[in-house]
Amino acid sequence: MSSFVDFGSERFVAGACKLAGMKSRRWVLALTTAMHVASAGCASTQQADPASGGAAGVLDERTAGSTASGGATAGTGGASAGNAGGSACSEQPIPRRTEGTPLSLSLSLVMAGKPFVFGQPNALADGGSLVPLNFRFYVSEVQLLQSTGQAVPVDVVTAAGAPEPYGVHLFNAEDEQSSTLRVLAPAGDYSGLSFALGIELACNRQAPALLGEPLTDASQMTWPHTGGFLFLRYEGRYTGADGRAGAPSDLPTAVHMGGSIASELVPRVTIPGTLSIPDNGSLSRALNLAVDEMFKGATAEIDVSDVAVGFLSTPESIAGERLRRKLSDLHVFVLEP
Amino acid sequence: MFERSLQAALGLLSLASLLGCSGGAGPEHEQTPSLIVSTMPAGFPKGTNGDQAPKDNALTLDRASLGKRLFYDPQLSRNREISCGSCHQQQYAFADPRPVSIGVEGRTGTRNASSIVNAAWGNSFFWDGRADSLEEQAGDPIENPLEMDLALSEAVARVASDPSYVEDFQQAYGEAPNESSLQKALASFVRSVVSGSSPYDRHLRGDDTDFGPQRKRGEALFSNEKAECFHCHPSGSLSNEGYFNNGTYTAGGDIGRQQVTGRVGDEGKFKVPGLRNVAVSAPYMHDGSLPTLEAVIEQYDAGGRGDPTADPLIKPLALTAEEKADLLEFLRSFTDDAWLSDPRFAP
Repeated sequence: MSSFVDFGSERFVAGACKLAGMKSRRWVLALTTAMHVASAGCASTQQADPASGGAAGVLDERTAGSTASGGATAGTGGASAGNAGGSACSEQPIPRRTEGTPLSLSLSLVMAGKPFVFGQPNALADGGSLVPLNFRFYVSEVQLLQSTGQAVPVDVVTAAGAPEPYGVHLFNAEDEQSSTLRVLAPAGDYSGLSFALGIELACNRQAPALLGEPLTDASQMTWPHTGGFLFLRYEGRYTGADGRAGAPSDLPTAVHMGGSIASELVPRVTIPGTLSIPDNGSLSRALNLAVDEMFKGATAEIDVSDVAVGFLSTPESIAGERLRRKLSDLHVFVLEP
Repeated sequence: MFERSLQAALGLLSLASLLGCSGGAGPEHEQTPSLIVSTMPAGFPKGTNGDQAPKDNALTLDRASLGKRLFYDPQLSRNREISCGSCHQQQYAFADPRPVSIGVEGRTGTRNASSIVNAAWGNSFFWDGRADSLEEQAGDPIENPLEMDLALSEAVARVASDPSYVEDFQQAYGEAPNESSLQKALASFVRSVVSGSSPYDRHLRGDDTDFGPQRKRGEALFSNEKAECFHCHPSGSLSNEGYFNNGTYTAGGDIGRQQVTGRVGDEGKFKVPGLRNVAVSAPYMHDGSLPTLEAVIEQYDAGGRGDPTADPLIKPLALTAEEKADLLEFLRSFTDDAWLSDPRFAP
């Protein structure tokens, strides 16, 4: 077992809560991560319960009665993040149900209500333009929300209907095939959906070398071997109306959210919107990500000095932490009617 | 199930090799050390190089051996003077010490020949990523007018006229030579070229015998917020398989990935190379414009060459002289000395 692997272990997380114990070089590298853990209270260092299989075609009793978390748009931290049902980091997660109606959510980027085209110049109100260079994020722990407030966890599945590896979907703007988030849903009327904008603790603490897609280094979401995964990554290039570079202060050129093994920090996004899942057939809906809303969060005047040291001191990490903290006040994800 | 079967098959092949059984492929093969290696690089995605092979080209000793023969055969160039191995030289980590390679009749290429080390784990190939598999990649240099300039059909005709080749193809693929099996064989050899015993690899496995304080300082710098090398070269695999404009491109130059995608945002982006044995694979960057690792560090320290298309994460680093030296020493820890002269991969 390599030392590289050890840093994704239970031992590391427990140790990170004991800041005084950090002596080796790698522990020093982990300082900011440990601070993140400490700031989260180290509340979830215990191993989550392994997933147990649900009976075919029926709701998983563990989660059917769970209450929707988060506010009108999003919640952050603690119990509102993933792991609601508890699971290990399994490449082949046990499906909650084997029957259901395929619900396809087509993810699109929008800015000021218009398509935000990846890799191409997008005109801005100031006469400048913005070319997105990299845009990717993880989605996991998807729930459908009933009007009663009950949350119904659903499996994230592939186009063939099989659970996605680790129950995680990676949106990658470079890969058109990744733009559809699919779940297998019980028929019924719902008032919205929610998901963790990131990955669960059990996976976040693993070394990428132990994992398969979409959690390998090729995801471009891996962080130095003590820091967990990024949950959202954006980079873009601004060109002013005069042809010169130099983005205005409300337009970040990079946003890196995550990069901490404290998965409790994963924000849970709650998106209102009517969803009527039929008994048969399938349902497709459009889910937009409002880039301008994301920028609002990333440039919000929020003091993040409590964590902005070491790895998290870079402008892109500060922008990501601001976004994470501000997300509950924003409407970054919008379900189209 | 498939992976387990393949691993079992490769295990048997390795055992057969150790016992001197080459499957009756002829005297040449009996003298050839096994190309099926057992030491995988540390920190790479789980699985062996064989696990990375497509289902229709499972990695076997016969296929890798045939691919090696083809790799070093100048018959695959129009004037029979250039082989794959002419530009991918083992002592230079299967890269080319010239900034750009020289093809048939002295024609000069446009980019520095990439190292093929540990390419088994790659997701796409060439600096612009225009090939999605090693099999697809294998035919490109043969047909490229600036490189070997030979139609694949002619390459097949040449090897098909040699009875020993016909026998090798039959042994490896159960059929006469054809364009598909020729590319598959070359891909199999490339897939077998694995370097995994550098001081860095051993360090990742917990052996710091050749990984002293300076290398550790360099590693820390490589992976921290000051140098931020890890964004593109994550610990272990040392490549995120992505495309980035690292500040080498300047206006009017090779646009790289944009040639494939047509996207404005891909101007000047090139594939992130793995760094195993990087200290011996000079010169550097897609155009071979940086002759030494010192020059590479200086360019990153300066924040690139100043073109506005550079990635926003490329910025001046303000490294001290000591930090540069530490970083250099860390990069040198990727050199797998024994592998550079390993006879399994030699002509």
